[in-house]
Amino acid sequence: MSARRFTIDGLIGAIPIALLIGLWQALVSFGYAPPTLLPPPGLVFERMVHQLTSGAFQQAIAATVFRLFAGFAIAVVLGVGLGLAAAASPAVNALMRPIVRVLAPLPKVALYPALLLLLGFGHESKVVLVAADALFPILLSTYYGASTVEQKLIWSAMAAGTPPRQILFKVVLPAAAPSILTGCRIGLVISCIVVFLAEMITSTDGLGHVLVTAARTFQAVDMFVPLITISLLGLILNGLLQAARSYLLRGFPEV
Amino acid sequence: MLTGKSVAARLAPVLACMGLLALWQIAALALNSDSFPTALEAMRAIPSILGDKEALINILASLRRMAVGFLAAVAFSIPLGLLMGRSASVASFCNPLLMVIYPVPKAALMPIIMLWLGVGDLSKTLVIFLGVSLPVIYHSFEGAKAVEEKMLWSGAAMGLSSVERMIRIVLPASLPEILTGCRTGLVLALITMVTSEMIARQSGAGNILFNALDMGQYDTVFAMIIIIGAMGIALDVAFESMRQRLVSWSEPQFDVPLSFS
Repeated sequence: MSARRFTIDGLIGAIPIALLIGLWQALVSFGYAPPTLLPPPGLVFERMVHQLTSGAFQQAIAATVFRLFAGFAIAVVLGVGLGLAAAASPAVNALMRPIVRVLAPLPKVALYPALLLLLGFGHESKVVLVAADALFPILLSTYYGASTVEQKLIWSAMAAGTPPRQILFKVVLPAAAPSILTGCRIGLVISCIVVFLAEMITSTDGLGHVLVTAARTFQAVDMFVPLITISLLGLILNGLLQAARSYLLRGFPEV
Repeated sequence: MLTGKSVAARLAPVLACMGLLALWQIAALALNSDSFPTALEAMRAIPSILGDKEALINILASLRRMAVGFLAAVAFSIPLGLLMGRSASVASFCNPLLMVIYPVPKAALMPIIMLWLGVGDLSKTLVIFLGVSLPVIYHSFEGAKAVEEKMLWSGAAMGLSSVERMIRIVLPASLPEILTGCRTGLVLALITMVTSEMIARQSGAGNILFNALDMGQYDTVFAMIIIIGAMGIALDVAFESMRQRLVSWSEPQFDVPLSFS
């Protein structure tokens, strides 16, 4: 089934995207939307290819990707570490639970002005914002995954003489991996969204800045290009995460 | 009857709030910078914002847009997600499109949508709708996919039609997962609300926040941060209590820590 089923699925999935582009083209060609507001798709893709080869745009992508990765990496390290600690130790749990309860639902974008005033307009404030927003989904799903590990697995490891410290890394971490990776996926999407927003608010470079500059000068074509780029970026990163997931979880049933 | 433990559990988040505010106060006193007021100064600015009629109307308008966008998104996304979870062809039809749209920051669509629909309520609500619907669809999809076949077979054997099976078996069985999605959606609704108002500077809580930032009224900036944060926390508490009532049957026993240390 695999290869053939895969192509059929791919073809069915391509239909709505094709329909969307078709509708877009139709709106323009039949004159429902003036090209200044909705440029034809051909023009946007042409511009996109042109931009992707230009140095300035590549630098914008590089700045965005750097912030995205830095923030996401900090969130993964902190989130998995704190999540495991909270699942393993009642004391850490009691301390962290109320703090997480207060901080998790806080819209971090509202903190951005404070971060700007404290950390300046450079990379730091944006990286911290991305990390703060991506942290909680990862932390919560790590905690959820680690605290639902079957006790029998831990008992077997203890019976086999594994020291407590190693149980955390040899039993709990692998058993919680599916849940952690689900959290990472949500965190990744949120990182993409937040890095772009932060760059839109105040920045001198990055994809969000490209969009804002285009919006200020009413260049509709240039507004679509960074949006499509961040969407592609999200797709590529999601694909990478999916590949990492199927590699890491190769022994698990039905992933 | 309130036992000692439940009182402690209720007080803990309040204590955490106090602790964080105290930390802020100490940090602000230590840094002693003009652009970083202390927690007390920021809190002193709150009454003047909430007392100002125009600001209050602005904040309420933000909340209304958020509520409308959120509810519309939930009403639209749950049926779609459940349908995707139960039908492979619907899933493979919708999935690629959703995957393309998911990482696009919805508030970034604001400048384009503004060109079409103007700066009014409609475009902001639409942006919130888009932001909320994706996580809700995704989680409903995952939840419906994981429903046990056997329950559906028993339902079918007992003569439930496919629509009835959807409402009486799939919906309750995937409710915990759906509500997880709604919770993510709620946070995203707040983020989108603030950013959409920041981009379309016309009204709302985000507008007050970023205008104050531009004009250098730092105590207003931090007071607005507290207000928006409190909104987020209050909504989350309300949502959580509703969630616990609906799906307490599926809660894993979190309070038993792993015993190996």
